[in-house]
Amino acid sequence: MTSMYGLFSTPELAQQAVDGLRAAGVPEGEITIQSSEPMEEYEFGSRDRETLMPWNAVLGGAIGMAAGYFLTSVTQKSWPMVTGGMPIVTNWTNLIIIFELTMLGAVFASVITLLYSARLPGRLPKFYDAEISNGKILVGVASPREMEKVEHALRASSGGVRKLELLS
Amino acid sequence: MPHKWGMAVDLDRCTGCEACVVACHSENNIPTVGETEAARGRAMHWIRIERYWEGEFPEVQVKFRPVLCQQCDEAPCEPVCPTYASSHSEDGLNSQIYNRCIGTRYCANACGYNVRFFNFFTPSWDKPLHLQLNPDVSVREGGVMEKCTFCIQRINAGKVSAGIEQRPLLDGEIQPACVQSCTANALVFGDLADPDSTVSKLSKSPRGTKLLEELGTKPKVTYLQRGSWDDSQKR
Amino acid sequence: MTRKSDSSLTDDLLRPVFETSTKFYVTAAVLAVIVAAGFGTWFYQIYWGMGVTGDNWPVFWGLHETNFVFWIGISHAGTLISAILRIVNATWRRPVTRCAEVITAFALMIGAMFPLVHLGRPWLAWWLIPYPSERLLWPNYRSPLVWDFFAINTYLLSSLLFLALPAIPDFALIRDRTTGWRNWLYGKLSLGWQGTPRQWHRLESAMHMMALAIIPIAISVHTIVSFDFSMAVVPMWHSTIFGPYFVVGAIFSGIAALNIVMAIVRRMLHLEKYLQPIHFRNLGKLMLAMSLLWGYFVFNERLVTWYGNTPHEMAALWSTQLGRYSPMFWTMIFCNFILPFPLLTIRKLRSITATVIASCGVVIGMWLERFLIIVPSLSYKGTSYSWGTYLPRWPEIVIFGASFAAMALLYLLFSKFIPIISIWEMKVGEHSNIKVAAQVQESEAAGELV
Repeated sequence: MTSMYGLFSTPELAQQAVDGLRAAGVPEGEITIQSSEPMEEYEFGSRDRETLMPWNAVLGGAIGMAAGYFLTSVTQKSWPMVTGGMPIVTNWTNLIIIFELTMLGAVFASVITLLYSARLPGRLPKFYDAEISNGKILVGVASPREMEKVEHALRASSGGVRKLELLS
Repeated sequence: MPHKWGMAVDLDRCTGCEACVVACHSENNIPTVGETEAARGRAMHWIRIERYWEGEFPEVQVKFRPVLCQQCDEAPCEPVCPTYASSHSEDGLNSQIYNRCIGTRYCANACGYNVRFFNFFTPSWDKPLHLQLNPDVSVREGGVMEKCTFCIQRINAGKVSAGIEQRPLLDGEIQPACVQSCTANALVFGDLADPDSTVSKLSKSPRGTKLLEELGTKPKVTYLQRGSWDDSQKR
Repeated sequence: MTRKSDSSLTDDLLRPVFETSTKFYVTAAVLAVIVAAGFGTWFYQIYWGMGVTGDNWPVFWGLHETNFVFWIGISHAGTLISAILRIVNATWRRPVTRCAEVITAFALMIGAMFPLVHLGRPWLAWWLIPYPSERLLWPNYRSPLVWDFFAINTYLLSSLLFLALPAIPDFALIRDRTTGWRNWLYGKLSLGWQGTPRQWHRLESAMHMMALAIIPIAISVHTIVSFDFSMAVVPMWHSTIFGPYFVVGAIFSGIAALNIVMAIVRRMLHLEKYLQPIHFRNLGKLMLAMSLLWGYFVFNERLVTWYGNTPHEMAALWSTQLGRYSPMFWTMIFCNFILPFPLLTIRKLRSITATVIASCGVVIGMWLERFLIIVPSLSYKGTSYSWGTYLPRWPEIVIFGASFAAMALLYLLFSKFIPIISIWEMKVGEHSNIKVAAQVQESEAAGELV
């Protein structure tokens, strides 16, 4: 099983390569793109944008809110102690604990969503090239069905430094 | 019916002799902190005689006021303790549970009467003074807050005796150390929930006021004085 | 073994991580000694008792609590710069964000130590953690100190995550540029980051969510710290102004701390190209705005107290204006208000040095402000017979100094470990500027822009 990728020195060249691969019939999900910075202004860098992150954060916040509510109101009744003539379950003050746990829930939910959907921690795929840290953009296909077409598409974006690797 | 312990302090009778202070120290195992520490402001007098000077020589007047924990019904020291070390008992006392105290000293800041004290050091008594410690009262370690308890050990002992003899408590049977030692009979202790007790009647006296009443703490110590604070001290 | 990159930006920002000078070791050693002295003093205090400090009856809170509020206040730097400026897309924030977030994380850690330091029985501090025990005793949620526990921990965890997440791509960068133990370590830390568009989107999305969350958290944290005071009926404490007053003061002192740290980092790590005068000027403007806002709150607090004319509050007020604490008060006014103004407004005087001098003044002034909030009020509480004074003693002063050394040491070690300026965010800044410039050129050519 061989993989193939090319390193492109500018985002425009990378965009050409991606378009070439699409024209060669490679399905979207098999095209791998890696870069050392987000390239959101370019079309190739704006895929996979849809995320449930805001909803997850809200859900996490709701769980935190419920946790805060139950923590305070249940434990305050487990041994009801009078302090300062205040009621046993003091809702004004419990709001503070509930607020903090709500925000903590939202934060944790965001982080968990990030880790899960970005597949972190994960192992580096076979064709990760450290040249990405030099500003190159990697465009490749993990297991291409039609080797020549893929090779042709990647070579077609000429100009700049390119690297073609055949790996098993 | 639960008790509601309270006290009345007759300012017209107080002579400022401080017998109550000494009695409280010896009854409750309160350390004498020593000269250096007292100069640093660390003396621990659960009951103290506040002494105010007024006027210029030779028309100087001295006023005395014993101040102790007011056992407030709505104690500001209670909600602020993170570990419930300061909480309210069923008898209406503000209990300081030494074992729960972690020494944040927030209760002392919240107390408007400054009647809470902190063990800055673990107290020690040189021999043979350790023999005079009251076995009914614990010795607190460093880092723990303490204050007047209305001699809860005597309250409990009284309740136990009455329970054994299967009779109700008599008014005046339980006397905290300060009440017992007052030479002028200025201090009266009793059950505010019993309308016939001396302290109940004194708390309703027209001579009675509460200390720092405007703070809304509902203290259970009534201060009695003939007229205004100024009049009462005129001899 | 490290490889040079094609980009001078990456090289410049990674140099402090890869190259260590003798100055680094000497500074680290000196700071470590001071921090060790601080810990030693703390253990001395635990062994002998709180009596070694200057706390007394009725001023039970002094330098330790001042330091607590001070450091939690400093921690608001990161939130302001990193979170608020991120949300409003202020691109000049890019070199400054990580500097600020690091201050937040470490200031919070140091600040969170002080509640432990001030406890009479610190070995029992774990009772503040809500856990089921056979005693059926949970923390008292009515107590502001328990609110502190929840708020500070929430803020600390959120800040650490806020700092750690955008560091992942930079860890990946270092992984790619190194071999040997560094490659292994940063490989583990970067969690296998590849840099696919999906990962970038998720990271930015998570950062955005966290920025939105961390701003209310930060505001709530210092408000809750202010509740430690305003919940008690103490002269000049029991005021509704304390919440906003403390938050404004925190942001004020945070920006000042950030200026100082940035200037030191700029000089020590030779980052003059990246931390430019414009950054200091922008932060200086923010600091001026905060100075005005802080002055407004102080005026408000004092006017209302003076006008109300109640005996206890007037005693506390006059002690700060004319009495025992007045030298501190007037120094504070000078440092927070009078000194920053000319240094930050007069064009001829404006420079990075001037900003740093003004910021040092602000840091001193804000520490004094915390002290002046806590001590005079406690000195004049209750019946006048029980009024008292407070003077700090050497254990409190040593721990105070050690807290600054700890901040410096942690910052120093951090800069050795992670690039102090976020490299990927700088790259985004670079090429988005290029892209924007190209778009502007296109629009001009097409006649769309005048």
